[in-house]
Amino acid sequence: MIRIAWKNIWRNRLRSLVIILSTTIGVWSLIFLLSWVFGIIDGYISKAVDYRLSHIQVHHPKFQEDGEIKYYFQKGDLSEGLRDTIVGRTDRMVVSAMIQSPRSTRGLLLYGVDPIDERSVTRLDELIKEGTFLNAETRNPIVISTSIAEKLKVSLRSKVVANFQDRQGNITAGAFRIVGLFDSGDIKLDDFTAYIQKSDLAKLTGLPEEAAHEVAFRIIDLDAIPSVKEEIKEAWPDLVVEDYKELSPDIELFSSQIQMNVIIMTIIFMLALIFGIINSMLMAVLERVKELGMLMAIGMNKIRVFSMIVLETVMLSMIGVPLGLGIGYITVYWMNQTGINLSNWSEGLRQFGMSQMVYPDLDPYYYGFVATAVAITSILASIYPSLKAIRLKPVEALRKI
Amino acid sequence: MNDIVIKAVDLHKIYDETSVPVHALRGLDLEIRRGEFTAIVGPSGSGKSTLLNIIGGLDAPTKGEIEVDGTDMTALSSNELIEFRKNKIGFVFQAYNLVPVLTAKENIELIMLLQGASKKARDKRTDHLLNAVGLEGRGGNRPSELSGGQQQRVAVARALASKPAFVLADEPTANLDSKSTANLLDIMERLNKEEDITFVFSTHDQRVIDRARRILTIEDGVIVKDEKR
Repeated sequence: MIRIAWKNIWRNRLRSLVIILSTTIGVWSLIFLLSWVFGIIDGYISKAVDYRLSHIQVHHPKFQEDGEIKYYFQKGDLSEGLRDTIVGRTDRMVVSAMIQSPRSTRGLLLYGVDPIDERSVTRLDELIKEGTFLNAETRNPIVISTSIAEKLKVSLRSKVVANFQDRQGNITAGAFRIVGLFDSGDIKLDDFTAYIQKSDLAKLTGLPEEAAHEVAFRIIDLDAIPSVKEEIKEAWPDLVVEDYKELSPDIELFSSQIQMNVIIMTIIFMLALIFGIINSMLMAVLERVKELGMLMAIGMNKIRVFSMIVLETVMLSMIGVPLGLGIGYITVYWMNQTGINLSNWSEGLRQFGMSQMVYPDLDPYYYGFVATAVAITSILASIYPSLKAIRLKPVEALRKI
Repeated sequence: MNDIVIKAVDLHKIYDETSVPVHALRGLDLEIRRGEFTAIVGPSGSGKSTLLNIIGGLDAPTKGEIEVDGTDMTALSSNELIEFRKNKIGFVFQAYNLVPVLTAKENIELIMLLQGASKKARDKRTDHLLNAVGLEGRGGNRPSELSGGQQQRVAVARALASKPAFVLADEPTANLDSKSTANLLDIMERLNKEEDITFVFSTHDQRVIDRARRILTIEDGVIVKDEKR
């Protein structure tokens, strides 16, 4: 049966090649589309995690709601077992501040950080466009984004003044010298954060140097995040422990939205494929009415006729699948190495916190998913032509010219 | 062993019973015995093809009995009819109706594949049949690489592959030249005599009629003449 079906495929070489080519292109484009989407999602998540969120953050239960300076805590080292899975920890002080230059004022969150600890968790130092990330040689150093610098009309080594509340709730101020300008391309980071030494902020607010409003962790293995989160919760039961998805629900929203789009596009592709296959197979059946009538006359039962047409359809569709997957894999691999530069749309991407470089990437699971989807599609597409074939009456079919 | 291969009693076939009824068969009676070489003749519209279709289990009579190799055909379901046709009836069609993508050998063994015969049995039978129809060495050729006469000989071999109770041939020589017709008839005659295979033809062709040992003439849906030679 398989041999007959295979031979039948090649009756009309041109038509079969057109189906194979269209399936190949379809599968390739679907693979590329999926890898593109996952590349965007991965880029968005890694950007948010690397520069803004880290993997896990710990806060005082009320700090997330009020952001008041009084909701700090002091926590020592975690157990040794946990420390093995944690790559880095940084204890941050966070205050709402007004930052002033001689020409303008901006409201933002002022982070007091230890530069060495911070480097172990986020990659803010990689974003520095000018200067350094909080060097200890300058007194009261501050790092702001290039976009805030533009708005404040200041530059590297300019002085700015930050006003914020101290521990008692009084307004206090400190003068800082800009030692570094960063540019993350993420509006949430660039327009609303600035960094100073934690020790400087402790002095100005009157908080103990060990105090923190936020402790951020970076984990070795992403799969271990849920278990590490639970262990931290157990160790520090009085605090709120959240992973990056909980901290930034937009990540989940963004991923689910894009994945929904992918599903819709996949369905559209499969529908186009279904109708293409139905059309071709229907032609193949109608061209062979007399022959099918003869086969039924000499004793080929309906199940065999049905199976033969289904088999022909599935074989025809599936020839293009490995080709599409192979070319898709090569394209994804190549694009993953080189990346796709979207700097022409950088301003729009910045608004959404997305990278200018997209590195298409696709989990092997999705290659199987696409192959299965095409197989199911071709089986569905084969039903109508197969039914058409078995509904033929041999005596009438044999009379066809 | 029952010697009667085909038995029809009071066979009626009416087409379009609801609108304008056409009586293709009007109470036809028929008996064909094993080993006969019978031609069914008659003008167009006389009911030849209808009779052949009913004998071949491709169509059902409106009324009457039709028994093939001892089986009441009217009692069989459509699936049982397919099985019956596969095992008991060999078909030879006017336009050969070979599968164009299969070789001559594959066309012949197709029905044995449907019967579930082993490869060894298929090879043996196919070689024998190719030899019997004078196409030894041509088993690997596709229909398009064979002449009309050769294709019809492949069709005869295919019809015999399942070792049927009889072979029904509908105008088997209509598309053949004189030489091919003579050749085909020689082969069928030899198979009839040497292997005791029953052949029933529907034909207009005088060359076939001349070779037949029994000629049934149909007019207006009934047998008007039964001539034995």
